[in-house]
Amino acid sequence: MTLYLPIAEMSVSVAVYLALGAAVGFISGLFGVGGGFLMTPLLTFLGIPPAVAVATCNAHVVASSVSGAVVHYRRNNVDVKMGGVMLTAGLVGTALGVEVVRLLRTAGLFELTVSLTYVTFLGVVGTLVLIEGINAWRHEQSGGVASPRKSGQHNWVDGLPFKMRFQRSKLYISAVPPMVIGMFVGFMSAIMGIGGGFILIPAMIYLLRMPTGVVVGTSLFQIVFTAAFATILHAVQNRTVDIVLAAILLAGGVIGAQFGTIAGERLKGEQMRVLLGVLVLIVAVRMGYDLVTTPTDLYSLGSLRGS
Amino acid sequence: MRYVICALIFAMLNPATTVLAGEAKESVEADASTRQVAITSSFTGTEILVFGTVENSVQPSAEAGTYDVAVVVEGAPAPVVVRRKSRVGGLWINTSAMRFTSLPSYYAIATTRPIDEFADAVMLDANGIGFQHIRMVPAASGRIEATDPAVLAGFKEALIRLKERERLYVKSDFGVAFIGRSLFRATIALPPNVPIGPLVARVYLFKEGKLLGQYKSRVMLEREGLERYIHDAAHSKPLLYGLVTVFMAATAGLAAAFAFRRAA
Repeated sequence: MTLYLPIAEMSVSVAVYLALGAAVGFISGLFGVGGGFLMTPLLTFLGIPPAVAVATCNAHVVASSVSGAVVHYRRNNVDVKMGGVMLTAGLVGTALGVEVVRLLRTAGLFELTVSLTYVTFLGVVGTLVLIEGINAWRHEQSGGVASPRKSGQHNWVDGLPFKMRFQRSKLYISAVPPMVIGMFVGFMSAIMGIGGGFILIPAMIYLLRMPTGVVVGTSLFQIVFTAAFATILHAVQNRTVDIVLAAILLAGGVIGAQFGTIAGERLKGEQMRVLLGVLVLIVAVRMGYDLVTTPTDLYSLGSLRGS
Repeated sequence: MRYVICALIFAMLNPATTVLAGEAKESVEADASTRQVAITSSFTGTEILVFGTVENSVQPSAEAGTYDVAVVVEGAPAPVVVRRKSRVGGLWINTSAMRFTSLPSYYAIATTRPIDEFADAVMLDANGIGFQHIRMVPAASGRIEATDPAVLAGFKEALIRLKERERLYVKSDFGVAFIGRSLFRATIALPPNVPIGPLVARVYLFKEGKLLGQYKSRVMLEREGLERYIHDAAHSKPLLYGLVTVFMAATAGLAAAFAFRRAA
């Protein structure tokens, strides 16, 4: 069955996009990431105009993270206070990012910036997560107890002002690091068209030293709102949100996310980090490969609508 | 469909009467089978039939080849950017770009035989018949050495190649067929990604390298039903449209979470 998309202006096979939504939804439920970093490149690969792909992905991210977030919330795995602090700063970051995107487009540097930030960020984050995950895994195999946070351990973060108590995370830390992280993730999500889970999760684990148990739920909680904000912003500013495409993707996505969350329960934290690291690295390598190898056609067409 | 057939019959009867009238000069009259193409959610591309007659035809039979006909169907002109990659420090990066101020978003051409066999380049250029003869004007603000003709030619060639790959530029060298002494027809395929907007169909009649006449007709591509409603909403009420999209996404997510809790 095919359907004509009103904004993308092309006809697509419903089954293909349902399957794509389900697959990405599964991954987002499993790892607590929005899945935007997978969905955007895949949609572009299938021929959806880049501007429409970036904008429409956000709607899919809302759906798959809402269902994941609810499951985690019910299991008391969400630190609402921490999420709220990061979110407030995140919205400011998103608005800033949208402005930077506009400037980059005028300068004709948008495409390159997106490719480079994707490769750099996915590469660095993927490698870090993978190495750490493997170490933790090994550590555990050899019989030790993996604990990312040693009590009584202090670093420069503890010296910052505006201390807040985050009961759910069992933390008493300054509000500045979560706000900086939130703003940065908001900024990146506007530029890269992603929810930012793959930056948020490592940042919460390694910088804020939150317990692994609440990290995925809190990340999903924050992504829901960031992605919703981005969807509305894209709809108003660029008019590139395709509601029909979004409906197909999220129909598959919400079901995939449920299965992903269930599957995630069976995985240990270390295993999950290794898998997420591998997945992020694969995407980074794939994108880096495109930058390095000789393209089949040196020329490309750019419409003046987006990208 | 019924009125297409009626039109065809009318077209076939018409020349027979005019030939008898006298030794008037040949000219061409043409039309498209459909003036209006509805783009609905089930749109997967379509075909339009362009047909016409040669007034005062002196062609003895359909196979005689006295006349040559070129049918050109063009989409609304739009600006286009072509980018070229080159290697910078090991990375393939878009280093140069050329902007063309207005280029047909869609261009289909059907002829009785390859165009260079029946018309010279000057004539084709003047009328924009054939891919090589489409008017392409580089924008003044182009970031590169737009003056170099070799560079410009490279960009033009790439532009046509890329458009052909998207199936938006289509050529059919023997796509126009004569039926009888004066009636001819050509089918033009509109791909599913055809840009929505007005199409202009132009028909040219040639004889021995000379342009005898031309005829212009319009075809409207319009969104209808739900497609139209959604597209209008996205443009006239963008905030509401965005909110509805988010609401739909959130509801679907919550519904799935709820359904699975029940199942579990």
